Amino acid sequence: MWQKLKDGIEIRIGLTDLIENRLRQYRVPSDTNIFYTLGIVTMAAYVVQAITGYFLLMYYVPHSEHAFRSVQDIMTIIPFGWFVRMVHMVAANLMVALLFIHFISIFFMGSYKKPREITWLAGGLLLLVTLAFCLSGYLLPWSQRSYWATTIVSNLPTAFPVIGDALANLLRGGDSVTGVTLTRFFSLHVGFLPPVFLSIVGLHIFLVWRIGLSVPPLSQSAEEESEWTEFRHATYSRSYPFYPNFLLKEVSMIMLFLAVTFFIMSFMPTLFLPEAATTPADPLNTPADIKPEWYFLAPYQMLKMIPNKFLGISLQIIAIIVFLFWPFFDTRAERNIMKRPLIFGLFLVLLALWFLLTYWGRYSA
Amino acid sequence: MKRRSFLGVLGTIFGVTAFGSVAYPLLRYLGPPQAKIDAGKQSFKKADVGDAREIVFQNTPAIIINRPGKGYIALSRVCTHLGCLIDYDRKSKKLICPCHAGFFNLEGRVESGPPPKALTTFPLRVEGEDIIIG
Amino acid sequence: MRYIYILSLVILVSAATTASAGYREIFEKEFLSKPWSTDIVAESSCIECHTSEVMDEKFRSIPQDWRVSWHAQNNVSCHDCHGGDSEDASMAMSHKRGFIGSPNYTDIPDMCGKCHIGILKNYVESGHGKALIEEGTGPNCITCHGSHNVQKVHIDIINAQLCSKCHPYERAKIMKQALFLTDKKIESIEDDLADLRKQGVYPDREEKSLFNTQAQFRTLFHTIDVAVVKDKTNFFTSELNGIEDEIKATFEELSFRKKFSTFLMLIFAGSWAIITLIIRSKD
Repeated sequence: MWQKLKDGIEIRIGLTDLIENRLRQYRVPSDTNIFYTLGIVTMAAYVVQAITGYFLLMYYVPHSEHAFRSVQDIMTIIPFGWFVRMVHMVAANLMVALLFIHFISIFFMGSYKKPREITWLAGGLLLLVTLAFCLSGYLLPWSQRSYWATTIVSNLPTAFPVIGDALANLLRGGDSVTGVTLTRFFSLHVGFLPPVFLSIVGLHIFLVWRIGLSVPPLSQSAEEESEWTEFRHATYSRSYPFYPNFLLKEVSMIMLFLAVTFFIMSFMPTLFLPEAATTPADPLNTPADIKPEWYFLAPYQMLKMIPNKFLGISLQIIAIIVFLFWPFFDTRAERNIMKRPLIFGLFLVLLALWFLLTYWGRYSA
Repeated sequence: MKRRSFLGVLGTIFGVTAFGSVAYPLLRYLGPPQAKIDAGKQSFKKADVGDAREIVFQNTPAIIINRPGKGYIALSRVCTHLGCLIDYDRKSKKLICPCHAGFFNLEGRVESGPPPKALTTFPLRVEGEDIIIG
Repeated sequence: MRYIYILSLVILVSAATTASAGYREIFEKEFLSKPWSTDIVAESSCIECHTSEVMDEKFRSIPQDWRVSWHAQNNVSCHDCHGGDSEDASMAMSHKRGFIGSPNYTDIPDMCGKCHIGILKNYVESGHGKALIEEGTGPNCITCHGSHNVQKVHIDIINAQLCSKCHPYERAKIMKQALFLTDKKIESIEDDLADLRKQGVYPDREEKSLFNTQAQFRTLFHTIDVAVVKDKTNFFTSELNGIEDEIKATFEELSFRKKFSTFLMLIFAGSWAIITLIIRSKD
């Protein structure tokens, strides 16, 4: 019976061929390190977000009068609602952290170089989409923290001359954060962003698969260093099959990610849930210590410190453009960052600056 | 047993447990939430026109008011400000919270004072000599 | 070569920016001087005048007293008690806009009772209230609670120094003893609720039912009748026990959540370890 079913499927889909030719014979350089699994772990985090988000959608009410109550009901009345919401919240923060590490490691290993520039660009766009997800999702619980953090962030565009106010009003749907903003952000969060995200992630994964994984610099299995004048899949001198060896590695890292998620949920449940997050939004009463979420702290602090706001926001936009198109600027073939002390130093300085600004933004008034 | 197959069995056990322990909460989540209204209907005696009767409906202090010309209404007596119990004032035809002077009209809407929103209304039906809430 | 593009881009924008420096100065000022977009609610004209140099010393301390009061923390401002128009400086103290100003000694309970309806009703029936109404000499609200710097009430407001201003402390002491246990219970529930809030729970239902019980308790003892308090103590104890049970259940739920996610953490950490071992055994 079982065999019959298996045969039936085999005839129609050709699983054996798929596994044999597409997965087992798909080669991965033999000295990949754990940083190579960051992409798939981030992807797993997105899947977790999609599932828990879908479940939250069943009880959440996107209306300024009911949003806070419905979220609190999910936390207390709905059986295991706390579980779904806490996973959604903790995994969202971990996901942003994973993305950051993914980018840092890719940069460090020079994996963005020719022919992988578009992969980097797609990844950069994914980071922006993710931050848009975070920004819009943040407002939905309609707590004091959501309300005021959104007030701060949605005011950033006003730093633009002439069109700034119009831009901010377009984002908020009014002069200030209101119920209109809530439904706007809600539709963004669950309707607009997911398909955009899925199409870019599709391109990203397709490119990674099509070109093949890059080899770590200084590795033994280095690909033949010849000019990329026409398309070819990467070739390696030493490699191993994607399935099952590399896939198992990836799965093990996903397990580790989930273990960390539940570690935070058990032992630091209020890490992302301060008191202001369990107080209903009150437009007439600004809480004393309100800050954007940690991933927005550095740009926020930078903007606060630069006296000319227009200069500040222009610098940030230039930074984003340079970041997105970095592979097209940095066209030297040398992939070992140690041999390029200037870039390496600049990178470390920027990283230190980011941490410093984040720390500063968190603890300054 | 060989080490490999032992690890395989152990891995399967953990995998199934992991799947089960995530699927269980999600299934429970989908189950119908304990509805507050499911305690069912309660019936109460009528009140004279312009009069009110204080009742307890499913552990919530409530009040049935026979509004002149508008019929019955059942409202929660829990003030939406800080939770004190409001009283019906026969003379002014208003509901008054004794703690911070929140005034509600007989529809339960806020007329003055600190309460942020209207009183909860319970659905009600008049059947013969009884009033049925729920 | 590429770096020159970046550099020129930066220079170009900075140049344009410097050229437009001084642009929208108001915006700059607003941006730097206050938290973004939080409109500072215009200070009421009452406070503006009362804090100014020309004001008499006696009146100038009133806003300072009020700022640290329980009323200020709960957004109860000058005009809520004294009437008048806080938004219009020229008409702020006009009687046409309902300005009351400083009430007579015997009118104070009515002023407070505008909001504290229940307590007023209670107070009028008490010995304190009767003495005020009939002889004009009894203690009114501010005798014990103070006026502008009124604080959240604590049971120690009943103390030898204050009560013995008018009569022997002994009677007040018996009252305090009768209130003591219920008061302590309310205090401990308040602490638990604050704790729950810190742990990410929104216990508004419990908070409301506690406030209701506390309010009933307060209206009860303003009659200053020990017999009534003793009579009703059982009722309050059982009400408070009910709230305590709910809080206990919430704490238990929190500890279940912790156990459940720890279990999941162990399962996934275990899976990670096993898969790692499987990979090792393959190599």
